[in-house]
Amino acid sequence: MEEIIRVENLHKRFGKLNVLKGIDLTVSRGEIVSVIGPSGSGKSTLLRCLNHLEAADRGSISFEGEFIAQADKNGNAVYKKSKEVLAVCSRLGMVFQNFNLFPHKTALENLMEAPLTVKKADKAETERKAMELLAKVGLTDKKDSYPGQLSGGQQQRVAIARALAMEPEIMLFDEPTSALDPELIGEVLEVIKQLAAESMTMVIVTHEMGFAREISDRVIFMDDGRIVAEGAPDDIFVNPEHPRVKAFLGKVISRG
Amino acid sequence: MDFDYLSKITFFIMKGTGVTLQIYVVTLVFSIPLGIICAIGKISRFKALRAVIWAYTWLFRGTPLLLQLVFFYYGLTAMTGGYIQLKPLSAAFMAFSINYGAYFTEIFRSGIQSVSKGQYEAAKALGMSPWQTMRRVVLPQAVKVVLPPMGNEAITLIKDTALCSVITVTEILRNSQVTVARDARVDSFLVAAAIYLCLTFAIMQVFRVLEKRFAYYKS
Repeated sequence: MEEIIRVENLHKRFGKLNVLKGIDLTVSRGEIVSVIGPSGSGKSTLLRCLNHLEAADRGSISFEGEFIAQADKNGNAVYKKSKEVLAVCSRLGMVFQNFNLFPHKTALENLMEAPLTVKKADKAETERKAMELLAKVGLTDKKDSYPGQLSGGQQQRVAIARALAMEPEIMLFDEPTSALDPELIGEVLEVIKQLAAESMTMVIVTHEMGFAREISDRVIFMDDGRIVAEGAPDDIFVNPEHPRVKAFLGKVISRG
Repeated sequence: MDFDYLSKITFFIMKGTGVTLQIYVVTLVFSIPLGIICAIGKISRFKALRAVIWAYTWLFRGTPLLLQLVFFYYGLTAMTGGYIQLKPLSAAFMAFSINYGAYFTEIFRSGIQSVSKGQYEAAKALGMSPWQTMRRVVLPQAVKVVLPPMGNEAITLIKDTALCSVITVTEILRNSQVTVARDARVDSFLVAAAIYLCLTFAIMQVFRVLEKRFAYYKS
């Protein structure tokens, strides 16, 4: 399968805190990869490094064979010019834990903003596509609502549609249901499942173990800044070999 | 009540109102863009620029406006040996624009910084450039936050224009002082007070409408 993302020997530290300690990861087109693991294991940081919301310190990141950051001879990550990085990153869609919708814009305007300002797309065409996406996430009737008037689940569905409006080649989800009330989680997961059915490439950081098991082609378990285990969902969830995976799943499942 | 006298002095003081409003409008036209630019500079990553803007706001918020006004009118002339000699109204425009620009810098800075980091991240993830993010995402949200403090400044500015009477600008207070001195009657001070009240009331209403207009969304 065609490789979309390749990450090699990625390191990231915040001050004295070493968050990523050498991550190697490839994601192929159409693949759905879930990243699980305890809090503070570096899952979100890894995801945020993929589209340059965080700058990696060491290692390399490439997108469709094109380097965004390349390791120099000492291993330090050297990024391309910020304009070029931005252009590449606009081809990755991102969904945040806290939605981060633009509060001063309606749902429809949220979807149209980036295509109009970044791609300079035609307005009528952008609106038509945006309405299609709102229909897809089941929020046609909320097109004129402001984010503050929507429930958390509705906001997150708008946020997914907003990311899709840029026609990304891959979608990154950073704990998309962690800020939601339990009864609103299902509607968001449904939308993500729908994308999976359309074979959208996705990397999903999540605490929803059942969902990760159901939807993923591959599950990555991270702990303490490293990928500790990696494999098909059943390998991770049914027969975990690694003791830390076992311990983690034991806690999560007994709790939930 | 001597209505004949009142109408005569009111007419004269009203001519000063035109000058007051002129100072008011010119100050806002220059100080608001100045404040926005300096606010963006103050949160930029350029250390030297930040230091310059810090010194600017420190100087102009840290000394009396009256002193600044006198400086631009008399001081500048004395210091340059008469080379720069501003007209009273020009000195007023300069002092007020620069002084209010310093206050607006701080107001806009706090407004811009009230916009959460997540907004910048969302915009960046969508491929928006820093400038597009500022113009399309951050500033429109900052406007809502800065409206109440802006309203305060807008009202204060009306009253501050009275300081210009000291450098012989023929605004409301100056004209009423002239009348008081000439006629040995204090009626014109009451007229001046009434005009200031009307002006500040009008500004209050403008900001009430503006705040209502921006209430369409929750931050």
